[in-house]
Parts: sequence; C-alpha cells; structure tokens
Amino acid sequence: MNTVVCMKQVPDTETLIKINPEGTGIVTEGIKWVMCPYDEYAVEEALQQKEKFKAGKVTIVSLGPDRAIEAIRTGLAMGADTAVHINDAAFYEKADPYATAAALAAAVKDLEYDAIFCGKQAIDDDSGQVPAILGELLGLPVVTLVVKLEVSEDKTKAVATREVEGGHAVVEVSLPAIFSAQKGLNEPRYASLPGIMKAKKKPVDVKTVSDLGVSVEPMTAIKEMSLPPARQAGKILEGEDAVEKAKALAKALHEEAKLI
Amino acid sequence: MASFILDERDQRFILNELLEVGKLCEHPTYADFSEDMFNMILEEAQKFATEEIFPTLTDSDKEGCSLEDGQVHVPKSFHRCYKLYCEGGWNAMSHPPEVGGQGLPIVISTAARDWFMHNFAFTSYPGLTEGAAHLIEVFGTEEQKKKYLPKMMTGEWGGTMALTEPNAGSDVGNLSTKAIRQPDGTFKLQGTKIFITAGDHDLVENIIHPVLARIEGDPPGTKGISLFIVPKYIVNDDGTLGRRNDYEIAKIEEKMGIHGSATCLINFGDNNECYAELLGEEKQGMKIMFQMMNEARIGVGMQGLTSASIAYMHALQYAKERLQGSSIEHFKDPTAPRTPIINHPDVRRMLLWMKSYVEAMRALMYFAAYCVDKERITNAEVEREKWHGFLEVLTPICKAFCTDIGFRVCETAIQVYGGYGYCSDYPMEQFLRDEKIASIYEGTNGIQALDLVGRKLGLNKGAYFMGLIGEMNSVVDRYKDNPHLKDLAHDVQAGINTLADVSMFFATSAKSGKFLIPISNAYPFLMMMGNVVSAWLLLWEAGIATEKLDTICSGKGIDPSDHAALSGLVKENKDAAFYSGKLASARYFIKNVLPEVDATAKAIKSEDLTVMEIAEESFAV
Ligand SMILES: Cc1cc2nc3c(=O)[nH]c(=O)nc-3n(C[C@H](O)[C@H](O)[C@H](O)COP(=O)(O)OP(=O)(O)OC[C@H]3O[C@@H](n4cnc5c(N)ncnc54)[C@H](O)[C@@H]3O)c2cc1C
Ligand SMILES: Cc1cc2nc3c(=O)[nH]c(=O)nc-3n(C[C@H](O)[C@H](O)[C@H](O)COP(=O)(O)OP(=O)(O)OC[C@H]3O[C@@H](n4cnc5c(N)ncnc54)[C@H](O)[C@@H]3O)c2cc1C
Repeated sequence: MNTVVCMKQVPDTETLIKINPEGTGIVTEGIKWVMCPYDEYAVEEALQQKEKFKAGKVTIVSLGPDRAIEAIRTGLAMGADTAVHINDAAFYEKADPYATAAALAAAVKDLEYDAIFCGKQAIDDDSGQVPAILGELLGLPVVTLVVKLEVSEDKTKAVATREVEGGHAVVEVSLPAIFSAQKGLNEPRYASLPGIMKAKKKPVDVKTVSDLGVSVEPMTAIKEMSLPPARQAGKILEGEDAVEKAKALAKALHEEAKLI
Repeated sequence: MASFILDERDQRFILNELLEVGKLCEHPTYADFSEDMFNMILEEAQKFATEEIFPTLTDSDKEGCSLEDGQVHVPKSFHRCYKLYCEGGWNAMSHPPEVGGQGLPIVISTAARDWFMHNFAFTSYPGLTEGAAHLIEVFGTEEQKKKYLPKMMTGEWGGTMALTEPNAGSDVGNLSTKAIRQPDGTFKLQGTKIFITAGDHDLVENIIHPVLARIEGDPPGTKGISLFIVPKYIVNDDGTLGRRNDYEIAKIEEKMGIHGSATCLINFGDNNECYAELLGEEKQGMKIMFQMMNEARIGVGMQGLTSASIAYMHALQYAKERLQGSSIEHFKDPTAPRTPIINHPDVRRMLLWMKSYVEAMRALMYFAAYCVDKERITNAEVEREKWHGFLEVLTPICKAFCTDIGFRVCETAIQVYGGYGYCSDYPMEQFLRDEKIASIYEGTNGIQALDLVGRKLGLNKGAYFMGLIGEMNSVVDRYKDNPHLKDLAHDVQAGINTLADVSMFFATSAKSGKFLIPISNAYPFLMMMGNVVSAWLLLWEAGIATEKLDTICSGKGIDPSDHAALSGLVKENKDAAFYSGKLASARYFIKNVLPEVDATAKAIKSEDLTVMEIAEESFAV
C-alpha cells in the first residue's frame, strides 16, 4: 500500500512561548522543534499499513523552513521511504491553512498513493483545517479523528472508526482517501539506531512553491497574537464555621463570578 | 516532555564545542556518521530515556526482583522497556557492525548512556550483556562467536560477569571455583559465585555467564585462573536450546538500592553436570579481565555522573519553586514575601558546588571515552600511545572519583530538598541509595586508589602520568594571558604543580623504603588528582565559553566587561546564559574547591602514619 503522510514540525510542547515584538507570531529563536505528536500517529499508521500489505512506499510531505528537515529525518528514521520538503521560507512565513493545503496538494498530486494520512491538527496553530481543505483540493473523501482503520485486501475501501462526542462512529470510505489521526490510533514507534543511520541515505526531494507550479495567496492573515492572561491569585473565604463559609461562597459565586 | 535527567545543552557543548566529535567522522571507521546524525541519535536517546526509562525508576525500586522456583523475575515495567531498548538498537551501540552492533564511536554511546544510566537497575541487564558479548567477540573462537554473539547482540540472550566469591571479593585471585577437565575438551564447573548482577532474570530466553575458575591442578593466585563460558541452556550445534545447565540460583540479595537489578548467589555443579567451555587460553583469565577493565570501570564511573546529574537537575528545579523564608535583603521583615530558596546564599552554594562537579565529571567521562575512540582510530604509534596513556591514568579517576563525588552530589541534592528529600514521595533518597554501589563493585574505590598510585603513576616509567600533566599544562598555557581567565589559569597551574610534586614525593618515599606513605595516602591522592583534573577541564570549558560569549556580545554590540549589560543579555539569551554559567562553574570551583588540594598535599607531606601506628585494640574498647 502506498501512502503519503503530511507532517509538520512544531515547537516542543514544553516550550515557553514568547510573542514577537510585532505581535503577529511567536519568537522562533531558541525553540526546540519536534514532529507534531498527531503526525507521529499518522506516520505510524502509514508504516503499519505498509507492513500489513508487505509492499508499498511511505512518502512524507512537509512544508517548512530549513529546520523542518530534522523532523523529516525523524520520520525517515521511523521507517518512511522518501520525503518531499517544500522549503520556501517566504511562502511559509505567511501561509495560512488554505495556502498550506494548496502547496501540499500540489506536491502530492504527482505521487502514487492509496491513502493520505495527516495529524488531526498541528499543535502550534491548532487550526485543524488542512486535512479538509486538502480533500477539497484533491477531490478526495476525508475522514477525521480516526482512532482505528481497516483497509480492505484489494485496497479499494477502508473502514475507519472515528471519535465523536461521547462515543465512536464507524464509517466506510472508498480509497484513495484522507485520514486525520487522533490519539489512540496506534502507538508511534521510536526511531531506532539502524533507522537513524539509514535515514541519512534516503532521498529527500526539496522544492520551492514555484517548483510545484502553483501560486497561492493565503486567504487569512494573523493580525494579532497574545498570551492568555496570567492566572489571578485565588481567594480564601473568611467565616467562623462551615456554614458561614458556605454563605460567603454562595455570595461570591452570585455577585462576583455571576455563575449562580 | 521535560526531563530533569541532564542538561542537554551541556552535553552538546562538551561533544560539539569542546571535543568537536564531528571530526571523528573524517576517519574511515566513522565515515558513515556525521555531527547531525550524532545529534539525532542523542535526541532519540533523550526521548527514549524520558518517556520509557525514567518512568520505571520509582516503581521498579518499590517492586524489586523476586525468586520463585529457581527463576528470577524482574520488575514488570522492565519488560516493555527492555523490548523497546533492544528494538532501538541501544543494547549494541558500540559493537562493530560486523558482529551485529551499531558501530557508534564510544564517546557517542557514552553520551547516550548519560541519558539512560540514572536507572542503573534497568541498564544493568543490557549493560552486562554488552560486556559479556565483548569478551566473546575479542577472545572467543570463531565457533563461539557464531554460537553466542548474534542472539546477544539482538538482546534475545543476556550475559553476566561472574568473578566474586565469598572469599574472593577484592582479592579475586583467591577464588576456589574449580573446573574439571573433560575428555571432549569441555569442562565441568563446581563452586559458588555471589553478588552476580543479572545472574538470572526473565527478560531473555538464555543467559551466557563468563565465569572465572581454576582448572584442577593449576597454581593458586591470579596466575592459575581461567575464564569459562557457562550458558543457562546449553546451545545445540543447530542453534536450538538444549538442557538446562546444572547450576542453581540459591538466593537474590536484599539491598540498599538498585532493587530492580537482580544480585544473585549461584551454585554451580551441585549435580556434577555444569557444562563449561574455555574462553580464551588456559590460565589467562585475569589477563583477559584486565583488558576489559578500563571499559567496565568507565561504565561504573558513568553511574556516578548520571546519578549526580539527575540529582542536581532535580534540586535545581526544586530550589526555583520552593518558597521558604524571605530574601536576604528583607530578612528582618516577617511580612516580606516568601522567596524561592534559590535566592538563599547557602542554597546557591550547594547548587553551584553540584553544578561545577557535574560539569567536570561529564567532561571527564566524555574525554575518557573520546580517548578510547582516538586510540582506536589513530595509526601513528606515538600519537596512539598518548591517548592510551591518558586513558590508563584517568580510568581510576573516572571510576573512584566520579562515584564518590556522585554520592556526595546526591547527598547535597537531598539537603536542598530539606525534609522532603529524606522522604520516599520524592526520588532524591533513591538516587542516593542507587548510586552507593558504584564505589564498591568493579574494584572498590580503595582498590582503585592502589591501582592509581601503585601501578598507573609508574606505568611506562611514569610517561603516561607526565603525558597527562603535559596535556593539562597546555590548556593552562592557552589561557594564561587571557584577561578573563588568567587568574584562574594561574591557580590551575599551581594545582597541577602540586599534584606533580606529590607524585614525586611518593616516588622518593618509596625509593627510600617508606612504602606506607604512598599506600596509606593512595585515596587522598586519588581525590586530590580528581580535583586537579576537574579544574583543568573546567578551565578548558571556560576558555571556549569565553570565546563564544565574546562573539555573542560583539554581535549585539555589548562590552563583555560591562556587568550590567551582560546580565541583561543573560536574562534574554539562552546561549549567553549558558556560557556565562560555564564561567561561573570554573571560577567557583577553582577559587573554592581547588584549594583543598593544598591541604591534602600538606597532610601527605607531613609523613604522618598514625593510621598504621594505632593499635587495633585502640580503635574502640
Ligand atoms: C549489588 C552488587 C552487585 C555486584 N555485581 C557483581 C557482578 O556482577 N559480578 C561479580 O563478580 N561481582 C559483583 N559484585 C561483587 C563486588 O565486585 C564485590 O563486592 C567487590 O569486589 C568487593 O568485594 P567484597 O564485597 O568481598 O569486599 P572486600 O573485598 O571484603 O572489601 C571490604 C573492604 O576492604 C577493602 N579492601 C579489601 N582488600 C583490600 C586491600 N588489599 N587493600 C586495601 N583495601 C582493601 C575494600 O576496599 C573494602 O572497603 C557485586 C556486588 C554488589 C554488592
Ligand atoms: C524524618 C523527619 C522527622 C521530622 N520530625 C519533626 C518533628 O518531630 N517536629 C517538627 O516540628 N518537624 C519535624 N521535621 C521537619 C524538619 O524539621 C524540617 O523538614 C526542617 O526544618 C526543614 O524544613 P523543610 O523540610 O520545610 O525544608 P526547607 O525549609 O524548605 O529547606 C529546604 C532547603 O533550603 C534551605 N533554606 C531554607 N531557608 C533558608 C535560609 N533562610 N537560608 C539558607 N538556606 C535556607 C534549607 O537549609 C534546605 O537546604 C521532621 C522532618 C523529617 C524529614
């Protein structure tokens, strides 16, 4: 089974985020970058499908600046076969979900695939739109929040279990299709030492957006970014005994918090 | 995920900026690697350590090992961890690819271990296998290599190192396990080994024990000792497993720490059927062991470093969060806000003391590993001899100094935690318990000191030791005119001179028949040498940090001697903060710890031998 994985490099979840002086993005200096955790599920799923069918190729496609190669190499070290790195700093700077999906669609277009895997969202900007727009641009069905996937022997259709509020829904879809991975889909493997050594020799096709023959304008632009307000100090309620304190609590909830 | 195992920036600094390990890749042996790849390997090691190894630390300590019907069971959480560790290829990092290893430079596998070894109970299993496999790789016959190595390399089989007996601890030569020659060239073993790490466990399907024993009729002492391979299940010619060999796990020890590591008492040959194969030549057992000693001892030294590192990182984090007391400016005002304890001078003293030792030990361990690589890849005889010499002299320092200082760092880290450090809800007391064994096994630290003073100082007519002195001097020379570092360089030079002077004093004492002076002062000398070596490495680190800091400053148009501007820079620039911290470690250590060297020298030169003169009856009545 041939698959494509759309993968994004994001700041490590532990990063202390600072807003840049223009207020339009984060300070990217001194950050540790990793593969987006949801994309790890996507890579793992692609590898497992390949292993199940004992044939096929896993191609990673990533849009990002020079540093994104590190996350791409991680994917190759996990076991992916090849990669396309859309490395175009100017484009990347202002790319919104639409522009990102359009660039990815252009890169994916010429590849052979039975399925495309994405993470359900990138944990940095959290927009969660790319899989859907990609589906629209490629004319493919999209199944989001997948936690289980079974592909038919002849690779013409798949049954996917999706997470829905309070439960699960099982859907059938014809292939090729796009799947966005939710936590629980699988347990991503670690890159092994032999994998890391092999990764160096695997081909990475580096392209600019104009190499892809597309010119896309983003549809949205970030005007302002701000950190959540610092948490207010807690308040200790005064009162002689429990009854007094309960009264004070009810009063505070009603008058100050306006919750009751 | 954040981990408080080690400061990854420090690791990168020592590898890439101090030792410039990328240059190793210019040599054909390591041509398949690159600095990028090393970094990627260490990223992965960090991830694996943080997500898989560290989380098993506490539960394995509480659960421990068990012995049921002659079979040892390890803590449950180790099973998953072990499987993933082997799948990742971490269990055979430095073995050459020809035998199924990954062929990493030793300095890189050492750096990866820096992430793993804080959980020594866990790493003891794959670690012992690696050591045993290495013995077979170097000394085994082709047939033995074919029979045992492949499965040991994949981690399907385990290994041990069985030397110790009740009457043969430090004095291995006194062992009494005997090997009885069989007509087919194999042997039957009889005897008891104690304290055998990973002597039995359920992570693998077979265990290969290299065992030291004496062939019947061979002379007493170390000269009559041979080395044998004793498999748990005898391996048939077709590679399948045959009968269970005749030995029994009689008990596992209850210990102070490393509860997840099974320490076994093994009775060999109770039914006269314990199959054994000779490994290497007859009566060469001790010689073979000695060839493996440097590596094994550096491995134990790593336990000192890694325990110190994780303890320091935890203490630092805690000190930033724990509010207690008010800051020193407001100490008389009871209403002043409570302050994080990192603001108290005494806590800062403890933190900086730990930081400087951890950084010195990391540089030392990586440098020693780098010497192994350089020795391996250098063709020119003289040059190779130089690296070999450094390694020989530094090995007892790596082992004994790092394990004893490691323990003291763990102790100090508990102190930073106050009462909480003493309680098991926090991991601090476990770090200390787990670390303690490192000063005892693989040759006690007292034996290491004798090795240093009795053997290593005079090795190659003293040329190895003088070679190291020369190397230290050359670093001092490099910085003795540097305006930021010259006073430090001056002090380090004085320390090196004192060290050389005391070693000469030992030599003259011995020549004039006063052997007891070097022998009874061997340990103080070893610790003194460790402090001089630390000062040398910290100065070297500070030298590089100064250059880098100057570059950052000039890039930002800041005068590095302008304190206010510099501290502003340090607040917002991580690299500047790091380099400035390097300077602080060196300055603190050289000004506050290195002077201890003078006291030791004074004591040694007083020729006081009360330790030998006091009557046994007078120690206590
Ligand atoms: C948890 C654990 C795991 C171990 N794992 C292994 C293993 O895997 N394989 C193995 O073979 N062994 C193993 N050992 C054994 C270990 O190597 C020995 O405990 C160690 O060599 C010391 O021997 P001993 O305990 O008999 O102490 P002793 O030799 O009795 O020493 C007691 C004290 O006397 C000092 N001393 C002894 N002789 C001299 C001397 N000549 N000069 C100066 N001082 C001296 C020592 O330094 C020490 O302080 C392990 C031990 C433990 C506790
Ligand atoms: C086993 C045990 C038994 C105990 N028994 C009793 C008991 O019977 N009764 C009782 O009342 N208490 C008892 N204690 C509590 C004990 O006295 C406290 O743990 C101790 O006073 C330290 O306080 P702390 O743990 O809050 O540490 P902290 O006060 O948080 O100290 C942490 C670290 O910061 C340092 N530090 C704090 N303030 C300053 C400062 N101003 N200047 C410099 N350094 C500073 C400390 O020296 C320490 O290294 C017990 C504790 C234990 C663990």
